Amino acid sequence: MIVKDAVCPFCGCLCDDIEVEVEDDRVVAVTNACELGTTKFMGEKRMKSPILRDGDRWKDITYDEAVQYAADMLLSAERPLLYGWSGTHGEAQCVGVHMAELVRGVIDNTSSVCHGPSILAIQEVGHPGCTLGVVKNRADLVIYWGSNPIDAHPRHLSRYTRYAEGFFLENAFRDRKVIVVDVRKTETASIADEFVRIKPGGDYAVLSALRAIVQGKTDTIPRTVAGVAREQLIRVANLCKSAKFGAVYFGLGLTMTRGKYKNIRNAIELVSELSRHTKFTISAMRGHYNVYGSNEVNTWMTGYPFGIDYSRGIAFYNPGETTAVDILARKECDAALIVGSDPAAHFPRKCLEHLADIPVVQLDPYPNATTAFCNVQIPVAVTGIDAEGTAYRMDGVPIRTRKVLSTDYPSDREVLSRMYALMREALER
Amino acid sequence: MTFLMITGRTVNQGVTVENKTSAEYAAETSTCFMHEFDMLELGLDDGDTIRVTGPCGEVVMRASASVEVETGTVFVPYGPYANHIVAAGTRSTGMPDFKSHDVEIEPTDEEPKTVYELMEDLGGLAYDR
Amino acid sequence: MTELLVKNACVIDPLRGINAETMDIAILDGKIVEEVSDAAEVIDARGMLTLPGGVDSHTHICGTKVNFGRYMSPEDMRAGRTPRQGPLHATSGYSVPTTYGNSYRYSVMGYTTLLEGAMAPLEARHTHEEFVYTPLQDTMANTLFDGNWGIMEAIRDGDTKRVAAIIAWTLRAVKGFGVKLTNPGGTEAWQWGKNVSCIRDPVPYFEVTPAEIIRSIVEANELLGLPHSVHLHCNNLGTPGNYSCTLGSLGLIPDLNEKRQTLYATHVQFHAYGGSDWKDFCSKSEPIARFVDMRPQIVMDMGQVMFGRTTTMTADGPMEFNLYRLHHEKWSNHDVELETGSGIIPVIYRRKNLVNSIMWAIGLELALLTKSPWQCLLTTDNPNGAPFVKYPEIIGLLMSKKYRDAEFATIHPDTEARVPLPAIERELDWYEIAVMTRAGQAKALGIQDLGKGHLGPGADADVAIYPIRMDEVDPSAEYQKVIDAFSRTEYTIKRGRVVARRGECLVDGSNATFWVSPKVSEAYDMGKDPDFIEKFDRYYTVRMRNYPVQEEYLNRNRCIETEARI
Repeated sequence: MIVKDAVCPFCGCLCDDIEVEVEDDRVVAVTNACELGTTKFMGEKRMKSPILRDGDRWKDITYDEAVQYAADMLLSAERPLLYGWSGTHGEAQCVGVHMAELVRGVIDNTSSVCHGPSILAIQEVGHPGCTLGVVKNRADLVIYWGSNPIDAHPRHLSRYTRYAEGFFLENAFRDRKVIVVDVRKTETASIADEFVRIKPGGDYAVLSALRAIVQGKTDTIPRTVAGVAREQLIRVANLCKSAKFGAVYFGLGLTMTRGKYKNIRNAIELVSELSRHTKFTISAMRGHYNVYGSNEVNTWMTGYPFGIDYSRGIAFYNPGETTAVDILARKECDAALIVGSDPAAHFPRKCLEHLADIPVVQLDPYPNATTAFCNVQIPVAVTGIDAEGTAYRMDGVPIRTRKVLSTDYPSDREVLSRMYALMREALER
Repeated sequence: MTFLMITGRTVNQGVTVENKTSAEYAAETSTCFMHEFDMLELGLDDGDTIRVTGPCGEVVMRASASVEVETGTVFVPYGPYANHIVAAGTRSTGMPDFKSHDVEIEPTDEEPKTVYELMEDLGGLAYDR
Repeated sequence: MTELLVKNACVIDPLRGINAETMDIAILDGKIVEEVSDAAEVIDARGMLTLPGGVDSHTHICGTKVNFGRYMSPEDMRAGRTPRQGPLHATSGYSVPTTYGNSYRYSVMGYTTLLEGAMAPLEARHTHEEFVYTPLQDTMANTLFDGNWGIMEAIRDGDTKRVAAIIAWTLRAVKGFGVKLTNPGGTEAWQWGKNVSCIRDPVPYFEVTPAEIIRSIVEANELLGLPHSVHLHCNNLGTPGNYSCTLGSLGLIPDLNEKRQTLYATHVQFHAYGGSDWKDFCSKSEPIARFVDMRPQIVMDMGQVMFGRTTTMTADGPMEFNLYRLHHEKWSNHDVELETGSGIIPVIYRRKNLVNSIMWAIGLELALLTKSPWQCLLTTDNPNGAPFVKYPEIIGLLMSKKYRDAEFATIHPDTEARVPLPAIERELDWYEIAVMTRAGQAKALGIQDLGKGHLGPGADADVAIYPIRMDEVDPSAEYQKVIDAFSRTEYTIKRGRVVARRGECLVDGSNATFWVSPKVSEAYDMGKDPDFIEKFDRYYTVRMRNYPVQEEYLNRNRCIETEARI
C-alpha cells in the first residue's frame, strides 16, 4: 500500500507531500522526504512495552501500571515539571496543559532551548512574518541568518526558496538571490550568492550596522564590523532595499549566541525598518515538526507560549525562572513528566544530575538518553506514522498528520487522557 | 589551548537523533570539528581523541578537520557530549550559552564514552534491550 | 430527557415581536418547547429582563491572529487572570483573553453564540481547534476571500459563477460560515508592501478593482444561497476622509435578498471619518446613517471604541502597518499565501486624545442616528475598538443621554466642534438593545431559522436572564444599574442548561460549530476542476488533499446545506 500526501513529522517544514510505501505494517519505502524524514519514517527499534526501573535493572510493566505510576507521581509531587511537547500532536499538548493546571505544575516545551529567545524578542517588538508560500511565490531575496537549512531543514531550499518555483518569478533560480550570514562557512553558505561571515558573537553589531545603513547613516560605519567589511555591509543593505520582496530566516545561530533575544530583536527591527522601503518579512526556522504547535496550544490555553508555572493556580510566566533548564538546575522540581523530547541529550549536565534524583516518567516510542533517568517509560505511537493529530508548521499553518500504518501502540493523547482521568478521579474523591 | 565551542545541528545528528542508543549517534555527537591549523598545533590527526574541558566538567571527543570552522573555534553537533560540559546558567532567558563556551582542548589516550556511560556517570541507568 | 421551566420571565423577543411580556419559557432537551411536564426543574425569573442568548456577529476570539495577539502580549495576559476552580479552567488576558477567558466572560454577560470575524482559509484548522476550547458558546467563522487569487482571476475573466464555485469549495473545505472581505484587494497589494486607496484602484498584477471584487462576490454569495450576506470591512479603514470611500462601497450594493440584507458592513465607526488629515479629522456619521436608512439591503455594526488599553488585530495588514508608524509600539504582520493577511498592534485609546475622542463619539452616533436598530448592531469589533467586556457600558451610553453627557465632559474639549453627538437626544429602549445584541444579529447572520436569536418553540434553548426589572429602573437616569445588569446575568442558559449564574460559570460545556456546505453542480465542483487543481498544486505549499478541515475538528457539527444556483 502507498500512502500519498503523508506529513513528515521531523522538522518545522512539515512537508506534506511524502509518499510512504507500507508492507505488512512496516514502512518499506519513502519518496519525496529528505534523509532526516526518511530515516524517521523507516525508524525501527521501538521500545516494546512500558518499563519500570527496579534498582539496577529494567522490568516490563503493563500500560495500566505505567499510567497509574505516572498519575500517582504527579499527584504526590509538590512541584512537578511537565516538559517536552514538541514531538507530539496538539491534541496531546492540550491534555498536558490541563494536567499541569490540575497539579499546579510547571509546563514548558523545547522552545525554551531553541527559539524561546525569539519569542521574548517578539514580545518586545512584534513579528512581521508570512506563510512559506508567500516567500516561495514572491521573494527575490532570501537571507538565512544563523541557520543552516541544508543540515537542519533540508527541503526548505527546494520547497520554499532557492530551488522553488514562484508565481511572480520568471526564472526563480536566477531571479532569487540568497544571502547566508553565519560564523561558519556551512554547506548552505556554499550555495549562496553572498556569504557574510561574522566573528562569533558579532551578530548584534552587524545587525545594528545594517540598520544604520538602511537609515542612511552609512558614514557612521567603521571599516569592519565583527569581521565584516563595510563594503559588504553596504552591498547587503542595498540588495535588501532594492529587493521587491525580502525574507529573513534565522536560526539558533542568533538565539543561542551572546545577546540571545536582543539579537532577534535587532533583526526584527531591521526588518521593520526595511518595511518602510520595500516588502520584508522575518521568520524563525523552527526545529521540531510541532514545536510551534506547542507554543500555539500553550498560548490559547494559558496565555503564554512556554514556561508556564501553575503553582499559584493562575498561569504565571517568567522565562529564566519558569523554564525547564532553570528549574532543573535549581533542583526545584520534585518529579518530571517528559513527552516528545529528550532532555538528557539536550540539557546541560547539571540538569541531568537533578533528573537522576527525582522520579521521571517519559512518553517516547524509542529508548533515548532520557530513558536512563526514567523510573517509567511508556512507549507510544509516533505521530505522523501510527498516530494522527494536528501539527503547526514553522509559519503557523496547521496540518493534520496522517496515520500511515496501524500498530498496537496507544497515542500520546490516549495515554495522557487516561492519566488525566485518573488524576481527576483521585482529586474528586 | 583555549577554543570557542559552538554547538549546532548536522544532518548526521538529525538522521541518528531518533536512535540515540546507536553507535552512529554517539560517533556524530562526540565529534569535535576543528580547523586543521589548530589540529596541527595540538599534534592531532583526524579521529584522534581529545579531552575537552568546559566550565563544569570534561568529556572525551574525537577531533575532525573541517573547512567550515575558523581557527580558534570548534563545532560540536548538538548532543550529550557537548552538554556534558555546558553550564546550566541561562542569564534569565531559559536558554543556556550553547554557542558561546570557552573550552580547553588537549590530546588524550582515552576513548569517548558511550551515551549511556555518560548518563550513568550522572546517576542514570543504561537501557540496553 | 431534561426539562426546565423558566417562570415569570419578562421577555423581550424581537424576532417574534414580543416586547416585555411576562411569560414562562419551557425547555426540553436543549430546545424551547410549548410546554413541559410537572417534573421539570423550575427557575423563577421573578419578572427579570429575559432575552434570547446574546449573539455577537463580529468578534475576534479564535484563530491565528488572535492567538498571535496573545503570544506577543504577556503584559495583556497578566492583566486578567483567574485560577482553576471547580469545573473551570484557569484564564489569562484582558483584551485578548485565552479561549476559556473569552468563553467564560461572554457567558457571564449572557452571550451564547459568537461569530469569529476573520478566518484565513489556509489556517482554518487553527480557528476550529480554538473553537473546541470555547465551550460555552456556539461558534462560526467568517472566511476571508479578499485577496484570493483564483477569485480575482475569475473576476478578471468576468466569470461570477466560477467565483461562486471557488467560494463554495473553500467554505466546505474549511468549514467556514460566511464570506468575509477585508480591505478587498488591499491584502494582496500588501504582499508587495502596497495598498489600494479606494474601490477604483486596481490590484497589482490581477488588475481588478475592489469595486469589482465586492460586486462580484456579493452576486456569488447570493448564487450560493448562503445564510449570511457578504461581510465587508471596507477599504481605507481608519484614514481621515474615508467616509466617501465607505459610501461608494455601500452604493455598489443592489437589494438581492428578501430575507436579510445583501451586505453586512462591519465596524463602520472606523470607516466614517471626515477631514483631509488628522488635523481636521471629524465625524461623518450623519451621511453614513442617512445613507443606510434609505437602503434596507445594508446592515452595519458599530465597531465602537471605548477608552483604555486594547489590542488591534485585523486581516487588514497595510492598515496595521500605518497604525504602527503612528504608535511605534510593537507590530506583527502575517501574510497568507494566495489568500489574505493580518496585522496586530496594541493600542491605548485616550480620552485626552482628540482623534480617539472623536472615534468614541462616532460609534455612538451611528447607533443613535440610524433609525432602525436592525440596521446598526452593537459591537466593538472585539478587541479592536475595545474588549467585549465593555458592551454593558455601551448599552448604558446608548440608553442614557445623561451618561453620554457625563462622559463627554471628560473627553478632549475640541471634540464638540467635530461631532454631532452632543446634539443627539435619542435614548434607545430595552427592545432596541435586544435587537442590537441578539435578534438583529441573528437575523443578519441568517441563523434565526436555525433556532438562534429568539425564544420560539423549536429554537435552541439559549436564554439570558438579567437581574433587572424594566418597570423598576429608569435607564436614562439609573444607567449604572443597567450596566451592572448587563455585566452579569442572573442566569445564562445554554442548550437548556444553566451555564452561568451571577457572574460565575458553572459547567464546562461543549460548543457547536455552524458551517455551510453549498451544493453545486458537477461542472462547478472545483475539487474536480483541472485548472484549479493545477494552480493549487503549483503555488500553495500545502497539498490540496491536506487542506480541508476534517470533521474531527468539529465538536458538535451543525452543517448548513444550501442549494446553489450554479
